[in-house]
Amino acid sequence: MGLSSAAATTMSEPLKFCIFDLRRGQHEGEELEKIMFFFPADLPFPAQLSVVGLSEGLITFTRIFSPEAACEVIEADMHSHVFFEAEPDIWMVMVVAKSKETEAIWRIEALRNVLKEIHSLFVMFHGSIRMLLDKEPGGGLIRSHLYTFIMDYLSDFLMGNKFLLPNFRDSLKERGTVQMLTVGREAAIEVQSLVGTLDSCMGNALGYSVILFQDLLVSTTLTPDDTVNLFSYGILRLTPRILSSGGSTWSYMRKGNASSHVESALDRLHGFQDGSSVRSDNYRIVRPLQHGKWSKGKDGFLVTDIWGVDVGNLVPTTPTIWLQQIEHKVYLCAYQHKSLTIILLIPVTSMLDGEEGISMLKQQLLENASSKIYKVEEKLAKGWVGENAYHVKGYRYLLVDGDRNISRASPSGKVTTLTKESLLALNKVREDVDLERSRTKGDDLEICIRAKNNSWVIARAARGKQLYIVLEKANETLLYASEAVEKFSDRYCNGAFSLD
Amino acid sequence: MTSDSSSLSFSDDEEDESDGQKPNTDHNIDSIDYSLDAIENQLSSIALNTSANEETPLVADVHHGPVTEIVNGSSKEIESEALRNSFGESSRGYAGERGSSVGATDAPADGDIKELRNNSSSVCDDGELLDSIQSQWVPGKRHVHEDDASMSWRERKKHFFVLSNSGKPIFSRYGDEHKLAGFSATLQAIISFVEDGGDQIKLVRAGKHQVVFLVKKPIYLVCISRTEEPYESLRGQLELLYSQLILILTKSVNKCFEKNPKFDMTPLLGGTDVILSSLFHSFSWNPATFLHAYTCLPLPYAKRQVASAVLQDVADSGVLFAMLMCKHKVVSLVGAQKAVLHPDDMLLLANFVMSSESFRTSESFSPICLPRYNPMAFLLAYVHYFDDDTYIVLLTSSSDAFFHLKDCRKLVEKVLLKSNVLSEVQRSSLEGGMHVENLPIYPSTRSESLSHLNEPRPATVPQERLHKSVLGIGGPAGLWHFIYRNMSLDQYVSSEFSCPITSHRQQKRLYRAYQKLHASMHDKGTGPHKTQFKRDDDYVLLCWVTQDFELYAAFDPLADKGLAIRICNRVCQWVKDVENEIFLLAGSAVTW
Repeated sequence: MGLSSAAATTMSEPLKFCIFDLRRGQHEGEELEKIMFFFPADLPFPAQLSVVGLSEGLITFTRIFSPEAACEVIEADMHSHVFFEAEPDIWMVMVVAKSKETEAIWRIEALRNVLKEIHSLFVMFHGSIRMLLDKEPGGGLIRSHLYTFIMDYLSDFLMGNKFLLPNFRDSLKERGTVQMLTVGREAAIEVQSLVGTLDSCMGNALGYSVILFQDLLVSTTLTPDDTVNLFSYGILRLTPRILSSGGSTWSYMRKGNASSHVESALDRLHGFQDGSSVRSDNYRIVRPLQHGKWSKGKDGFLVTDIWGVDVGNLVPTTPTIWLQQIEHKVYLCAYQHKSLTIILLIPVTSMLDGEEGISMLKQQLLENASSKIYKVEEKLAKGWVGENAYHVKGYRYLLVDGDRNISRASPSGKVTTLTKESLLALNKVREDVDLERSRTKGDDLEICIRAKNNSWVIARAARGKQLYIVLEKANETLLYASEAVEKFSDRYCNGAFSLD
Repeated sequence: MTSDSSSLSFSDDEEDESDGQKPNTDHNIDSIDYSLDAIENQLSSIALNTSANEETPLVADVHHGPVTEIVNGSSKEIESEALRNSFGESSRGYAGERGSSVGATDAPADGDIKELRNNSSSVCDDGELLDSIQSQWVPGKRHVHEDDASMSWRERKKHFFVLSNSGKPIFSRYGDEHKLAGFSATLQAIISFVEDGGDQIKLVRAGKHQVVFLVKKPIYLVCISRTEEPYESLRGQLELLYSQLILILTKSVNKCFEKNPKFDMTPLLGGTDVILSSLFHSFSWNPATFLHAYTCLPLPYAKRQVASAVLQDVADSGVLFAMLMCKHKVVSLVGAQKAVLHPDDMLLLANFVMSSESFRTSESFSPICLPRYNPMAFLLAYVHYFDDDTYIVLLTSSSDAFFHLKDCRKLVEKVLLKSNVLSEVQRSSLEGGMHVENLPIYPSTRSESLSHLNEPRPATVPQERLHKSVLGIGGPAGLWHFIYRNMSLDQYVSSEFSCPITSHRQQKRLYRAYQKLHASMHDKGTGPHKTQFKRDDDYVLLCWVTQDFELYAAFDPLADKGLAIRICNRVCQWVKDVENEIFLLAGSAVTW
């Protein structure tokens, strides 16, 4: 698939990505021990160590002045280095090349959100990096898990043989938030009733449910953080659109060569170890982000062999994941009817009879909930006007509710009508707001900029919410632009950004 | 220590320090030195891996070397060579000009160095060198006892460092440069490490801290700040710091580094702390530092004409630039044909003159370099104070022009006194220029004049404004302050600070807000934008950028948007009405 075969060993590498543990490899000659993950894996070790060494050096250096918050970003002429301390002393660093020609103009916070998403999804499926390290201090276990997981994750950004990381064109998107479906009162009651039925299906197991319609969240009984993770996974691998497109939203990488590549890359990755202790076949690696591995069974339940197959009856093992809000693993059980996807999460500890219990639960769901599911699906489908449902004429916008991890934005098809200049200006304004918010909370802020190309770029922050708007065909007065925002706020944000 | 062996020489440096030259090493083993060691190890182990062939023989020492050199005299050649380069041809004449105190062409290098350390050689009326002035200089540097192990040092809001590309400390805003050798080497290691990878480091962000790098080989400049100023501003400040050093030394100091990478620049900068600290201070109050424009002292048109005319006469007699200044404001400025004085050069020159105590006490003839005019050559500046704040600067490339310039000054003084310009300058300096409270109502029926506006005008004062003035909240519609920049003149005018922007802290905060606004309007990738409205907890800020002018205005955070826009229009009109008095129209820097 060319993930690392395309990797030249020069500094012009468009993307470098590493994860390292500061507690390891303290002695001279053992520096490689620190590295838990490196992309591209076939970059020579000195070059890998150079990235890690600079990162580590600057983490130490910045702590002299800023002990509470170490290095977050290095900006050099040609590269940005984005830092994220995922767990104490475990750092993720992404080095991206800048280039005007290839539109490689980044917003640091957007890149950091990619790092955050990788980590929180990893933890959801495999547990924390530190936990895996403690389990096997040699590091082989965590390395093989990280490698397969991140390569599967990154493959979503591959276009041709290039990575398309979120750049300025994605300024009206917010990773790490969920997008909600707005439902009418009647439908809301139906949904509520369905949630109740799902609860009773799970009975004493005290599970949780998440309901999606298309790519939008309808209902959740999880905490906001867990919801975001489940939602992200859902739209990456489970929604009807993904399943019908044959496993992925993009068309470059296909299963066969992907896995063979990953395996060979794994071998290389492990090659730098002492050579004997780590063999990838020592670990059974679950690859939850592998493409094309989920499908819809005849009974409507989604099946995958990612988590293995029972040797006796060839029935796939039910996936298990970690939730942040409880300390135990939960079974993940997904059901799909047309556009509706229902995810049930049942604590492993309360499902004493394991897979058998899951089968019974599925049976219960089919018997007791399916009529309600059909009804809800029908109702939601009737009210659904298509992917431009949240388009507001004349506006290109992003609304983020930071407290609830929710965002809503203009449909991406509409955002593409904006000129590059407007998007670049917006990207910069967002960067300024990111900075301001990181310093002072920046919770009461209004910025209206008339850019060189006469578009208005507007940012508002109030009470934990942020609103970004680009108006390209607006009148030239500031008052006109402000009024347009006010109208938007009153109509679509319950007046959250209105001045009075 | 050479630049391409950062990590190795770096560790060498550390070992040197532990030999007792850096007392903190032992008792702070857990803190900074440990940190520095760690960084060094990280970088050096990598460097060993990446470029083992870059190993160079360890170089003996570092920051003590050049000091010794000076003592034992072996450096004299270097130093004098440096000065020769700096002065160019004019150095001989310059030395001669000083009269008998120091010889002529064969002046000992030491003598020259002293002059540089003083930044000027003060010359009495009889032409004698006043070395004693040196003792009156109070260094501007504070907290000299600190070093990188002190908590107080680490907590300083804004550090500035200058170092050579071999990692030798040249200047630190806080603390003792010599004690900061290890720290300096760390900065060098970071810069050269990134450089080895074919890139150049610009900025590191960590929490509220920003580390900004400026590479001007063979000199590195670094700012470590938690002031929340934009990167562009901090980088601009490093550029000005570099230019201030060039103003004192000229760029030919680079040649010293070419000849000897271990060259120690610190002795050349002896006594300049006060100039640099004054520059750092201006980064928190002087809009010229980010606008790159200069400001004039408001003055009736006729009075300024008188000053300009006599300065023009002076310029015609072979003077390159003639400036009459009141503190950092220009009264008048005239240049020889086609000579253009960049606003940055004016800022740095004014800072140099005003922060050097010796200029106040006697007329002086001092070598300076105008970095934007010609970074390689020294000019000679004749400086004379007419009163506490008003001074004349005459710039020439001719080193034997002292007595001519002295005569010029006498002529200027005579004319200024005769036509009462100096007293008018003092009055204006006291009264200030534009007060937001006096913003007129338009359409106005009378011809506007700034001096009239500063007088009570009960009949025309609008009810609204009167009311607000009484409450002490600045101008109409909550207008607190504004800065107007005339693009073609390269000049700006800033209103006087009024209520509620009265304390230094409030003024500094407003200055920083303007700085941010300016940076966001002039973003390199997307700017300049046309308009910006920004409201936060502290202000409503409005900015307009057109081909002719830029307006920055600050209002009460509760100000009404529509009203604020109307007020901005009035401000622009007002400035146009009184531009004769607030700008230097005839002889502006760009129109020669």
